[in-house]
Amino acid sequence: MFNYSFRWNQAFASLPQMLEGAWVTIQIALLSMAIGITIAILLTVFRRSGNKLLSGVASTWVEVARNTPALFQIYMVHFGLGGFGIHLSPYLSLLIGIAFNNAGYLAENFRGALKAIPETQTRAARSLGMSQGQAFTNVVMPQMLRISFLPITNQMVWAILMTSLGAVVAMNTDLFGVTKALTDRTFRTFEYFAIAAVIFYVITKVITVSARLLAARLFRY
Amino acid sequence: MKVSIALGGIALAASLATTAQADKLDDIIASGTLRCAVVLDFPPMGSRDASNNPIGFDVDYCSDLAAALGVKPEVVETTFPERIPALMSGSVDVAVASTSDTLERAKTVGFSIPYYAFENAVVASEKSGITDADGMKGKVVGATAGTYEAIWLEEQVKSWGAGEFRPYQNQADVFLALSQGQLDATVSTMEVAQANVKTGNFPGIQIVDKAPMVPDYVALITLREEYGLINFMDLFVNQQVRTGRYAELYKKWVGEGEPASLTIPGVYR
Amino acid sequence: MFNTGLTSNDLWLLAQGAGMTLLVTAIAVSLGTILGIIFGVLRYQLGPWWALPLTFVLDVFRSIPLLIQLILANAFVNMILVPTLKIGKVSGFTVACGVLAMYTAAYCSEIVRGGIEAVPANLRRASRSLGMSWGQDMWNIVMPLATRVALPSWIGLALGVMKDSALVYIVQVPELLKNTQILITRLQEPLLLLMICGLFYFLISFPIARFGGYLEKRWSND
Repeated sequence: MFNYSFRWNQAFASLPQMLEGAWVTIQIALLSMAIGITIAILLTVFRRSGNKLLSGVASTWVEVARNTPALFQIYMVHFGLGGFGIHLSPYLSLLIGIAFNNAGYLAENFRGALKAIPETQTRAARSLGMSQGQAFTNVVMPQMLRISFLPITNQMVWAILMTSLGAVVAMNTDLFGVTKALTDRTFRTFEYFAIAAVIFYVITKVITVSARLLAARLFRY
Repeated sequence: MKVSIALGGIALAASLATTAQADKLDDIIASGTLRCAVVLDFPPMGSRDASNNPIGFDVDYCSDLAAALGVKPEVVETTFPERIPALMSGSVDVAVASTSDTLERAKTVGFSIPYYAFENAVVASEKSGITDADGMKGKVVGATAGTYEAIWLEEQVKSWGAGEFRPYQNQADVFLALSQGQLDATVSTMEVAQANVKTGNFPGIQIVDKAPMVPDYVALITLREEYGLINFMDLFVNQQVRTGRYAELYKKWVGEGEPASLTIPGVYR
Repeated sequence: MFNTGLTSNDLWLLAQGAGMTLLVTAIAVSLGTILGIIFGVLRYQLGPWWALPLTFVLDVFRSIPLLIQLILANAFVNMILVPTLKIGKVSGFTVACGVLAMYTAAYCSEIVRGGIEAVPANLRRASRSLGMSWGQDMWNIVMPLATRVALPSWIGLALGVMKDSALVYIVQVPELLKNTQILITRLQEPLLLLMICGLFYFLISFPIARFGGYLEKRWSND
């Protein structure tokens, strides 16, 4: 049917290598989310702090993360910091680049979520004798994270997809990097990347479905 | 019904296409243009001048081949990994793109006899303290992804069982990483290494040794089944050397010295 | 750092790249939005079960890295389709616009569906019982209301596509990032050139994003 001979066997023989790469991809995405959420909470606190310097830092972070390509951000973590003598391995560069992007987008989501939480709750908590910090951590933050559950899931999917950009910082152990190395050697672009695409699809599906199940358990009322 | 007609049409078109296969050599001469894939981030073989026009050894080589065929040359820029897709899609006729003649690639494309041979150099950052090729052992090394030297270097790192290999996407990134100290050393063709060290854009790097590897023989490529064209290209490469044009181009783009021998003693090609 | 080999010729090359980025984005976003509206309305009208095949196909575009979509589409079209059908060359530009348009459509259909769902069912029943046809109801009632809900997300999407269009360098489209790389190779000044490139994206994206935020704020208050 096609004037092209597929070599699926050759590609399937590399499946174990690619699955190992997939595991690295998942690790990076999970770690980048953990770091991203933590920083996003900090940025949110900074932006509410009223301190000009802190909120300036937070706003700059959010705007740069949201208004430049992720590819650019990852490249800059590796070579930009490298120019100042801060040397990060490809793994760390990719991880930090994605975490930087995650934090920016999540902080913006958190800001939206905070609008949905009435100010009166903080006042009530304060009048019960909680400090400002306690009111935020115990009353506001749990609700903020709950409202942001769907955006957090979406960001997790994006984090998975963003790992494919690691090749620009010489990352070669994640799913994209492993696939790229295989095709560089064999020129069988279509076969290898088709398999990689299926693996990416399965990973993102597993994440969205388990997030949905988790949400059903967590927010049952 | 409609679907089956459409599929039938595709099958028909495919079968017609295979029966009416014309020889590429004839096609090129008939069309009056030779389209060459050339990699332009690989000085001195292919690069751009100050007004961003293609120049280099490979660009001239393409012009010579076109002249031999009696047609006009057209340079189509590709990256290293894009050479083969460009050929298969018919958007270029040949690739004059410093393609190493590996057996793995010969499964997909057809090679002429070698038209150039690269010696590879070990380039190290001064801070790393590497003084020869053995010094790379256990260090962080890198090269341009997918190239002959990258494949060799990655094998080396595997056999050392220590150190780290990093495949960057282009030559500029490799030298940037090296001069920042993110890499301790790289292996690249002697020509590229000399050109980059000379620019002065990358302080703190130097050529320390020749890489102990088999010279990187590169060949012209076209579709695997185009024997007529491959045959023509073999003779063309031979004539380039015979007439002294090879030495002339070497002098123009690489510099003084003896161009590498393109024959391997003791074996036929 | 400011002692640079950058000439006005090179700045012109960058400007051409920026123009290409905007062109690819404009084509992909307009095509993608039209498709997205069609798919979104279809998915809403068909209901979750009958729309399942469509939903699945669109979902694929959101679950695979764009870079891989571009590589696969390019390899499929050029290495398989073109030699098989003996059609002429398909340019990287066409492939890039096609893939980005489908990518946009996948997200846009989601936004459109959300917008339609946000219109209260009672309002639509009321309009239909006033004698409006389905088309009149869609055009006069649903569209204006759904647009209010959907526009801020759509602006976000369009900006997302512009930033993601940086990846079409992989199919040899001479857009901003690709031209930046050409200059990096010649001038060997990666950091300066990339800063210029990043700044350009920021300057386009930031004001539009702010405008989107402003719309969202204004429209959510009344």
